[in-house]
Amino acid sequence: MRTDIRPSKPGVRNRGPAKWILYLCGGAFALVVLLPVAYMFLVALQPIEVAGSTLAPDRLSPRSFIDVWSAIDLASYLANSLVIATITALASSLVGFGAAYVLARFKFRFRNFLRLSLLACYTTPGIVLLIPLYVIYVQIQNAVSVQIIGSHALLILTYMSFSLPYTIWMLSGYLTTLPADVEEAAAIDGATRFQTLVRIILPLTLPALVVTAIFSFVLAWNDVLFASVLTKNDTRTVGIGMQLFVSTAADGGLPQWNNLMAAGIITAVPAVVLFIIIQRYLISGLTAGSVKG
Amino acid sequence: MAPSFALMTVVSYIPLLLAVVISVTALSIFTIGDVWQAGLVGLTNYLDVLNPSGPLSVLGPLRNSVLFTVITTLVAVPLGVAAAVLVNQQFPGRALLRTVMLIPFILPDFVTALIWRLIFQSGTGAADQVLRFLGIGADYNLWLIGPNAFWALTIASVWSAWPFVYIMALAALQAVPAEYYDAAEVDGAGRLRRFWSITLPAIKPTLVLALCLSVINQFNSFTLPFVLLGHPPAEEANVLPVEIYTTSFTANDYGHASAIAVVNLLVLLIPIAYYLKKARSDEN
Repeated sequence: MRTDIRPSKPGVRNRGPAKWILYLCGGAFALVVLLPVAYMFLVALQPIEVAGSTLAPDRLSPRSFIDVWSAIDLASYLANSLVIATITALASSLVGFGAAYVLARFKFRFRNFLRLSLLACYTTPGIVLLIPLYVIYVQIQNAVSVQIIGSHALLILTYMSFSLPYTIWMLSGYLTTLPADVEEAAAIDGATRFQTLVRIILPLTLPALVVTAIFSFVLAWNDVLFASVLTKNDTRTVGIGMQLFVSTAADGGLPQWNNLMAAGIITAVPAVVLFIIIQRYLISGLTAGSVKG
Repeated sequence: MAPSFALMTVVSYIPLLLAVVISVTALSIFTIGDVWQAGLVGLTNYLDVLNPSGPLSVLGPLRNSVLFTVITTLVAVPLGVAAAVLVNQQFPGRALLRTVMLIPFILPDFVTALIWRLIFQSGTGAADQVLRFLGIGADYNLWLIGPNAFWALTIASVWSAWPFVYIMALAALQAVPAEYYDAAEVDGAGRLRRFWSITLPAIKPTLVLALCLSVINQFNSFTLPFVLLGHPPAEEANVLPVEIYTTSFTANDYGHASAIAVVNLLVLLIPIAYYLKKARSDEN
């Protein structure tokens, strides 16, 4: 028999529902999220003959994580994605920082229009921009007689058209929250505008820059649409590589579900790890600075 | 600074304008080498794609897209809010649950699509295995082709979409001052009453924004249907972005594809305009 003799702490009232309800609901959410992920791991570990056709955890082995490297050109996809996503992240952060600083510190005509159009870019569907970009690229290619479609540089430039508006929007929102006094103090001490920018503002903006860089990286890493049109055999990225793997495996009779799942896990790791690192900042990243308070 | 705006003009604004221009031309595989030969066709492309009985009609994909977006959002928003309310309570294991709930959001779409493609394999996938185990319905279902494909796509999409709402709702919940609840409790308001009268009004602006962004995201979703259903997809689950892709890069009919793209953008104009208006009023 139990008597409730807990002293009632002032200010801390038990206003939440009973613990068992919380655990029940929490457990339900966790199951919904984790079951499909657990299934992916299970199938990745199953032998190729039965992979994906049974839920039985028999004869599990991690060999698909070795076999998959010879089943598809995963190493090349990963290398291409790594190069493209890293350069996209660095370039859009660097260019975006400069533009964001101008937007945050100088008043000029069309400033508000410019800020708003950044958001408009963010909401434009990729497929709507892909057609005109492709037409332009074909024209340039024909004019200069050099194959540019399929190059890393062109894909990076294309991704930047999406990561840049977002980066500028985020960083300019962040920069306006930095006090202007620091800059004024530096100016009094004789620092030039550029010195102030590099030595004072840049270090202060670093946390926000890390977040925008990671968002740009993941944007490039996760893309399938642009990569499906703007890459060629030797420049394929993970997204389009996986799409081709799953469609050829499905058509080819032997689906190799264990290799497919192993490849899925391997290609998901960079995006998942990066997002978990910046998990605290996800919110500001998602709302693109539009919700304050 | 100026160069970055110049770059943006080149890679974002000009293409958008060009998309509209291309939509009134007959640009195709035959004329892409010499665009001046394409010829203007006025609004013919629009009439073709909006003609209900025409061979190029996109009213089917348009309807699929709208239904898919509405259903996904209507299910994902309450789920996301429920999850946020749940992990806003104090209980051991809360931090872990918060991270777990992010998983569907941080998985790349092509991986999410891969998992659900496996789950929905006819006869052998987890969906059919579970149905067989439970003895409900047939144990061999065509999930990824035919009418079920729409539901397979919607289920996979809900799974990946709700954490977005959850993240935004949680941020809004954390900003609600605890004093409000204290005062309400003193006044004798019950749990449900507190939710309706304090929590919901407090997070409403964020919820509307989440709703808008969710609609935009779902309507623009390409990777999930493309990888989940393969290409070309079942007619019943063919959504606008995939239809635009097929028209432009399989049929190489850039004129009609651009017309569909502009229609796509026009449909989205309502949530986009609302989102921009909201963003601007927050600025001032």
